[in-house]
Amino acid sequence: MMNRLSTNKTVFAWAALTPFILLFAFFMVYPLIQSAFLALNQTYGPDTRLFVGTKNFELLIEDPVFWTAIKNTLIYSLGSLFIQLPLAFGLALVLNSRRLKGRSIYRLIFFSPQLMGLAFVAVLGALAFEKRAGLVNRTLAWMMQDAALLEIDWLQEYIMSTLILISLWLYVGFNMIYFLAALQNVNNSLLEAAEIDGAGPLSKLRHVIIPSVRPVATFVVLLSMIGSLQLFELPYILLNGNGGPNNKGLTIVMYLYQNGFELGDLGYASAVGWALALMLILLALIQIRMVRKEEASR
Amino acid sequence: MDPSSRMRHACSLALLSLKHLSLGVWIIVTLFAISGLILLTKSDRPSENLQMWVFSPEHRAMYAPMIEELQDRTEGDEKPIDLSLLSREAIKNRTMSGFLGGLPTADLIEIERAYIGQFFQGPQEAIGFHDLTDRLKAEGLYDQINAPSLSPWSVNGRTYGLPHDVHPVMLAYRADLTESAGIDLTQATTWDKFFELLKPMMTDKDSDGRPDHYPLSMWITQQDNIELLMLQGGAQLFDTQGIPTINTETNAQLLAEIISWCAGPNPLGTDIDEFTAAGHKSRVDGDAIAYLCPDWMCSIWKMHVPGIAGKMKVMPLPAFTEGGRRTSVRGGTMLGIPKTTQAFGQSWETAVELYTAPEIARELYRMVDIISPIRSLWDDPVYAEPDPFFMNQQKGLMFIELAPDIPIRSSSPYNYNAVLEIRDSALNVMEWTKNQSDWTDDQLLEQVRSQLERAQGAIERQMSRNAFTGVESK
Repeated sequence: MMNRLSTNKTVFAWAALTPFILLFAFFMVYPLIQSAFLALNQTYGPDTRLFVGTKNFELLIEDPVFWTAIKNTLIYSLGSLFIQLPLAFGLALVLNSRRLKGRSIYRLIFFSPQLMGLAFVAVLGALAFEKRAGLVNRTLAWMMQDAALLEIDWLQEYIMSTLILISLWLYVGFNMIYFLAALQNVNNSLLEAAEIDGAGPLSKLRHVIIPSVRPVATFVVLLSMIGSLQLFELPYILLNGNGGPNNKGLTIVMYLYQNGFELGDLGYASAVGWALALMLILLALIQIRMVRKEEASR
Repeated sequence: MDPSSRMRHACSLALLSLKHLSLGVWIIVTLFAISGLILLTKSDRPSENLQMWVFSPEHRAMYAPMIEELQDRTEGDEKPIDLSLLSREAIKNRTMSGFLGGLPTADLIEIERAYIGQFFQGPQEAIGFHDLTDRLKAEGLYDQINAPSLSPWSVNGRTYGLPHDVHPVMLAYRADLTESAGIDLTQATTWDKFFELLKPMMTDKDSDGRPDHYPLSMWITQQDNIELLMLQGGAQLFDTQGIPTINTETNAQLLAEIISWCAGPNPLGTDIDEFTAAGHKSRVDGDAIAYLCPDWMCSIWKMHVPGIAGKMKVMPLPAFTEGGRRTSVRGGTMLGIPKTTQAFGQSWETAVELYTAPEIARELYRMVDIISPIRSLWDDPVYAEPDPFFMNQQKGLMFIELAPDIPIRSSSPYNYNAVLEIRDSALNVMEWTKNQSDWTDDQLLEQVRSQLERAQGAIERQMSRNAFTGVESK
């Protein structure tokens, strides 16, 4: 009887899993194999190809534009990590305070850029950071009473800073929601005990709140890093499809897109894709290691 | 339990678990089933009609009555023509996807010059458009078309599209301001004379720290204008075989001169956006006196900057050296016939009809100020009509006079990247000037030479990756 039940369960489990396995094989495994094969070819669309072996990877290593794209993407990722996340956590702390009136309204306000979508934010960003007529330069010039500030060319000279600033607006509210959820799960009795022990706000933050939100923070850091490494739409729209002067705004995915879909060289684009995949795998491994280390220390 | 009853049992277990699915899941499953059915039953057969894609609303407005007339004339012998308006980007993406992925495209497609390089990226035999060279020659059109206007659409002497335009460039200037200052700008036969004549207008009467009027709207971030000026001066970024020639002495000297207009504490050029409201306001305010003006720009100003109507005049560009070329070229469109078309004959006839008809040429000029590339049409009285926007000048005739002299342009798939590299070179040299207290022309030229060397290397590197074009770098 037990044996029969177990067989039935196995059949049912496979029946339930089959659609997923088929979809996964078709949309994930097959493209991965295909892209690995493509990376060994030079192509002009899918029909015209030439086997070049590892040449694409060799060229990639020597390609200064690729390294510029890596540098830019890392600058953006680190900017996101060290500016965006602390800001999101700070906002979450403020908005978690019961003493603050109208918390829901503030939460909505900070989260609202997410509702607009990347393309719209990019278009607004381009207008706000325009030289001379843009809101940012106008405000700076008015505040500092210096007409020279109208000439700051954000979209030509300070592209990465501009991208980080725009993404702050876009993602701070989004990450804040994660932190807010984590803060609302902090054990109140721990906070009360700390208070009884004479802990001040900073001590409570350091010894109670931060350890409690650490798992969520680790997740948000990973999510934010992966998202940053895949940055595409924002600079693409902001810079009209190219990387800006001296490729100052070129990201890895933009470079992949340029090669694969504008130049038709799917082979070189696949090589770029594999380089990005390696970076992401490395990041995920670091994350897994960190989580395991943390679990072991508990 | 035998295998069949085991299967029955497993099925009943599965059905039992379906009963516990929520309403939401059922809605999703139902929608999935319905949409799946629709997709399965939907025919993906391309339309039987002849398809034409254009990116300009004005083109569509011009072609529609002509196409109707064409169809009335042929009285059902030929396929009906569907004229679709798509964005430039959409046309480029859909056409590229069609060529590269074997997806259906239109039978007639208008492509803008900025994107044509991408279609010439692969081996010549893989270019998705029909080679029209022999047809053009057989029907005598090749000799009728303004010769330099064929260059952006030709690879190794083979032409893949009918040129829609010439796009010669003149200098448009605020004649109201120059005339009230007593300056006759038509005397400016060279750029040196032009800046010399306008320097007195660079005073700062409103004390805002900037000159009231800059002589020229031109900045080194405007890659299209840099290319235009370099072409005017005789620069070539690629030779006839498609080999990059970015680091030549001619190119270095031209770029150094252009940079000198923008560098230093008192630049002669200023950065005015060409297509934004802020830029249009600057034009009305007279922030710059003169603009580099291809024929199509006239209609953009008429539409978006009515505040300068009756205040502008056009004149041939000042030359880089006395007796040098007084015009240049910017932009362009071609009409191509994809190899996938099932109706080449009708597509060709329609293309020729639309691009050589005097009525269309007339409309083209009236609606968007663009002159036709067909030389036999240049006698049309429409080009002699005075234009009130430009103080009643016969600007059509002025553009036509310059049309045969526009520079030849490269159709290299790397031309766009080369222009971006030139822009980056200019920006790097500008950066260098900012870090110097003073510099001589020779030092500036030396910087430009080294930047062009860098740009040449970058393009050669890109080209060396392309195993298809068979172009060896220098």
